[in-house]
Amino acid sequence: MTGPPLLQTVGVSKHFPLTRSIGETLSGRRARAIHAVDEVSISMEAGETLGLIGESGSGKTTLGWVVARIHDPTAGRILFEGQDIGKLEGEALRRWRHNVQVVFQDPVGSLDPRLKVWQIVSEPIRAQRRLPIREVRARVQAILPTVGLPTYCLDQYPHEFSGGGRQRISLARALSVDPKLVILDEPTSALDVAVQAQILNRLVSLQRERRIAFVVITHNVAAVRFVADRVAVMYLGQVLEHGPVKEVLERPIHPYTKALLAAVPVPDVSRRKVRYRIGGDIPTLIDPAPGCRFAPRCPFVKDICRKTDPPLVPASHTTNHLVACLRADEVASISPQELLSTAPTGQAPPAPAVTPVVSLS
Amino acid sequence: MTEPVLKVENLSVDYEVGAGVFHAVSNVSFSLPPGRVVGIVGETGCGKSTLGQAIPRLLPEPPAHIRSGKIIFQGTDLVRVPRQKLPMVRGTSIGMIFQEPLNSLNPAFRVYDQIAESIQIRHWREIGDLPMFQPGPTPFDFSRRPVPTAGQVLSKPFLPGEQVQEAARHRLVTRDDYKREVLDYLRLVRINDPETILRLYPHELSGGMRQRIMIAMTLSQKPTLLIADEPTSALDVTIQAQVLTLMKELIEEVHASILFISHDLGVIAEMADDLGIMYAGALVEIGPIAEVFKAPRHPYTKALLRAIPAQYKTDGALPSIPGSVPNLSRLPSGCSFHPRCPLARPICRVNPPPGLPNLPHAAACHFSDEVATLP
Repeated sequence: MTGPPLLQTVGVSKHFPLTRSIGETLSGRRARAIHAVDEVSISMEAGETLGLIGESGSGKTTLGWVVARIHDPTAGRILFEGQDIGKLEGEALRRWRHNVQVVFQDPVGSLDPRLKVWQIVSEPIRAQRRLPIREVRARVQAILPTVGLPTYCLDQYPHEFSGGGRQRISLARALSVDPKLVILDEPTSALDVAVQAQILNRLVSLQRERRIAFVVITHNVAAVRFVADRVAVMYLGQVLEHGPVKEVLERPIHPYTKALLAAVPVPDVSRRKVRYRIGGDIPTLIDPAPGCRFAPRCPFVKDICRKTDPPLVPASHTTNHLVACLRADEVASISPQELLSTAPTGQAPPAPAVTPVVSLS
Repeated sequence: MTEPVLKVENLSVDYEVGAGVFHAVSNVSFSLPPGRVVGIVGETGCGKSTLGQAIPRLLPEPPAHIRSGKIIFQGTDLVRVPRQKLPMVRGTSIGMIFQEPLNSLNPAFRVYDQIAESIQIRHWREIGDLPMFQPGPTPFDFSRRPVPTAGQVLSKPFLPGEQVQEAARHRLVTRDDYKREVLDYLRLVRINDPETILRLYPHELSGGMRQRIMIAMTLSQKPTLLIADEPTSALDVTIQAQVLTLMKELIEEVHASILFISHDLGVIAEMADDLGIMYAGALVEIGPIAEVFKAPRHPYTKALLRAIPAQYKTDGALPSIPGSVPNLSRLPSGCSFHPRCPLARPICRVNPPPGLPNLPHAAACHFSDEVATLP
């Protein structure tokens, strides 16, 4: 590949400061902050799909919004085709915006119920250029078939559509300005499997025809497997593992990725299995302690994990499979199933929130 | 052959609204043996939640209307139970777990108060202060009760009921008794540090925690039938795995029968013993889950199973079902799946498929024997 990658983030962070109490303000203490995204470095090429997976609260949506410049980054650089767009402002930012479009999470809440479909879909066009209405409508009419909507719905309202239809309107709106990158936030989580398959097929064929790059933010591992070329696994604002989709999903290295994949219910009765489960919930993001973010829940934790931040480096024998784990070489060969056989058998004790457990359930 | 806990026979539920009559559930029959888990799967709008809510008669009537059929719960037809008697069944004998636990918990009360309230209601029922559902063919005395005399009413606290009830009355008296019982239930649902959780409000808990509190509340009523309507859909996968594991362990411990409603075939595969597939309000296939997954007998089941993404982009397009779910007020003639069915023949357009035969694994399709040969 020649030239700079389509999108590259270098140590991008987004912190949301909390309100200081009177005491804190008077004592001049710095405001505590929620570290939603912390020093994330990822890159992707044009026409490629990056899947961002992780639990809620892992910062996937925030990262997507920072890349689209809906949020301003707290630190770090966002390089889009080699240009740092993290500092763009005013008119320059507005003119840049057509490059990156977002399909928002909630297909009901992100469509204005009082606008007709053509008005919704043409909003990005109208924000970029002044055009006569007839031309705007003609453009919308050309876009609708590409997302699988009939052209007669130009003058319908969003409530007349099903969940899948609304998702298509959202997608049409994002595509209306010929973006180079579309960020899809949970594109299929509100949909049934049959409709989900239709939308995912549409995304893949769109990408083939128009060479659009997608960032697919989701917790649905099955959907990511199908659409993505590369996957980044996020946990508590950091990327723990990043690599080609087959590598990450079939040979996961990071213990968190293993746990996440093992937790996905498989629609296969013969594989109904005792699960390797990680105890406890996601800990707080407010000024997190140093060390690996996953250490409190990790079954392989050692003292060093609690003190040193693991860097995101290529795993041994590979160049493009990055992992942020200090013990990557040791845990790489362990599959979640093997993990089970080494675990103590019998009734699992209630999992304490802070102590990591590998337990049979 | 043990008597099923729940037997639904030819149940049909309509919604009568301005836009017309929606046949949300039509002619559904199935039975739920004690200690089994029956899973119901279907797309949005196929009537699976309506079915779940129709069983304890939770649907607002009108607009909902049970057109025909029987819901036989422990020998009693719930359709014929008068409305004012229904609270005896709801919550106590039939417990429900809903999708969004934040909507089901009261935001203004602490966890302790909410679980204690449900324990208190059960306690009142046990000691006879509140009427309780009695299983059997005639659980309710429809005859007019003798009006109590003023003396009976005034002296009621001093005239305890039967001997058994008297023993139960002393079990839960003080606040400490309740606290001990609440803690027991919190430990049952594997909550760490229940003493702290007791004093929290629902908004201070995570989604998985809230769902566990809901399960604790439901179980504290000691239900014989549990209806779980998408209990884990709002949760993350790792949390979902925890809650599912918990529910599986509890099935063993409390011996409840569960009707498990979900749109996620993966979750159902994990939980259910029997699987029912719903399409456009009708149960199109039902059978032991391993058989339904291995050899589906209805084209819709087959298509649904194949639509789950299990491949990479380079492996070609995902098989999807063309078209969309039909409008429940204007169902297609004949078999309601025929417009989307790859196997449709002229007869499917005219004749509705035969009802589910009385087999362990049955499908409502004219050509259910041929489905296996489908591409």
